[in-house]
Amino acid sequence: MSMPPLNDTFQDARESSGVLNCPFQGKEVAMILRHRDVRTAAKDWQTFSSDAPFRVPIPSEEKVRSVRQLPIETDPPLHTGLRKIVEPFFRRPRDPDFRARIERLIEGLVDEAIDSSEVETVHEFALPLQSRALSYLLNLPESEAEEWINWGVHVFRDGDGPAKGAQLDSYIQTQLDRAESKPGDDFFSALTQAEFDGHRLTREEMTGFANLTFAGGRDTVINTVVGVIAYFGETPHALDELRRHPEQLKSATEEFFRILSPLTHIGRVCPNSTHVHGAQVEANERVALTWASANHDSEVFEAPNEVRLDRKPNPHVAFGFGPHNCLGAHHARAILQSLLQTLIRKIHRIEILQSIPKIEVEDRYQRQNGYEILRVRLLPISTQN
Amino acid sequence: MPKVTLITPSKEKVILEDAIGTLMEAALDADVEGIDGDCGGVCSCSTCHVHVAPEWVERVGPPNDAEADTLEFDERTNSRSRLSCQIELKDELDGMVVEIPNSQ
Repeated sequence: MSMPPLNDTFQDARESSGVLNCPFQGKEVAMILRHRDVRTAAKDWQTFSSDAPFRVPIPSEEKVRSVRQLPIETDPPLHTGLRKIVEPFFRRPRDPDFRARIERLIEGLVDEAIDSSEVETVHEFALPLQSRALSYLLNLPESEAEEWINWGVHVFRDGDGPAKGAQLDSYIQTQLDRAESKPGDDFFSALTQAEFDGHRLTREEMTGFANLTFAGGRDTVINTVVGVIAYFGETPHALDELRRHPEQLKSATEEFFRILSPLTHIGRVCPNSTHVHGAQVEANERVALTWASANHDSEVFEAPNEVRLDRKPNPHVAFGFGPHNCLGAHHARAILQSLLQTLIRKIHRIEILQSIPKIEVEDRYQRQNGYEILRVRLLPISTQN
Repeated sequence: MPKVTLITPSKEKVILEDAIGTLMEAALDADVEGIDGDCGGVCSCSTCHVHVAPEWVERVGPPNDAEADTLEFDERTNSRSRLSCQIELKDELDGMVVEIPNSQ
């Protein structure tokens, strides 16, 4: 079976001009495609700004939320200070005890999947995994995750956007009210107590942080987890190979992030009109930093369409690059490393029973970035043959 | 096996005896301040950035291509910069001293 996520839909445009002009919501966006150009633009916030509420994600989100997401929709130096407020939470996955907890969570889900003879990995495995792991990150009771699981794979896009956005906002307000009246040591309480520039955060700022925390790292983590399971299902020898070489666990993790690149791109707004490798971008128009394309750039990655679990060096940009580098990267890495660890320890083979790819369809490109459905059977090591 | 000295951003001297693997791995095992090694040593971040002491620059050698490309985007980079995940701890590096720059 072919594996569409490996298809590099941007190859021709990247190699010929380096830019693909593609309309999103009726407006052209210059998609920057080459590894070096993407990294350069990601560092150059004066030319390619994030100070643009609702317009950093592509498509933009003015219809599904009413707050500026923080810290992502700001530029340095404001961004630097805002990011520091929440950084301690996002660094928690570096603690070995935290990682052990993630590992137990994944073991439990894998055991459950083995016992139930088949599992739909998007909704029955990856979604609960992501939500429960997030409850650890935010230091909230694991039971909170049950409500988040009901929100689906994406907080805005999995259903009616505006209604879903309102539901998320109402949840955040309830949590902030609770944290204000009865503070604990959870993420919401930290927001209500944080000081920035000599003052407490406003309710709108707190909401902006919380909104990003639930919107980001959700479908991306889910698509990566499911992508790994699909890959091992289609490439059984790779699971055996990693089992024989557990020392490749970290490089394998990074290679999966590179090859799957769950976030195709992110937007920046140009405050002044500018040229991007031959494409004219008017003031207040957007460009896209196309991580998924940069991660297949043959100038940087030898045989970019091959999955090489021992690939080193691997300077991928799946978590972005520069000051806005993904806050949740530690968490995502902990989840993926634990998943690989658990699979090589427990799983002999993965049988794919049903697979419906999720395709991002835009006017000038199509790209698989995950699965709508991936139903598999996990065959454990102990009962093989 | 080499003994290496790291000078942390807060100017503390940390000595690693019998260090093995890469300098980043040895520093992570010892929980040295300022070495985060976020990407696990594949050159996709620069959270294991070190400045090699002048007298050791020649023996440690220059960065490889992917490493140099990543360093190019780090404001802390100077002519003594290396990513410690790319420095294999070999016997000839016994006595090496590196400084860890302040995080960005």
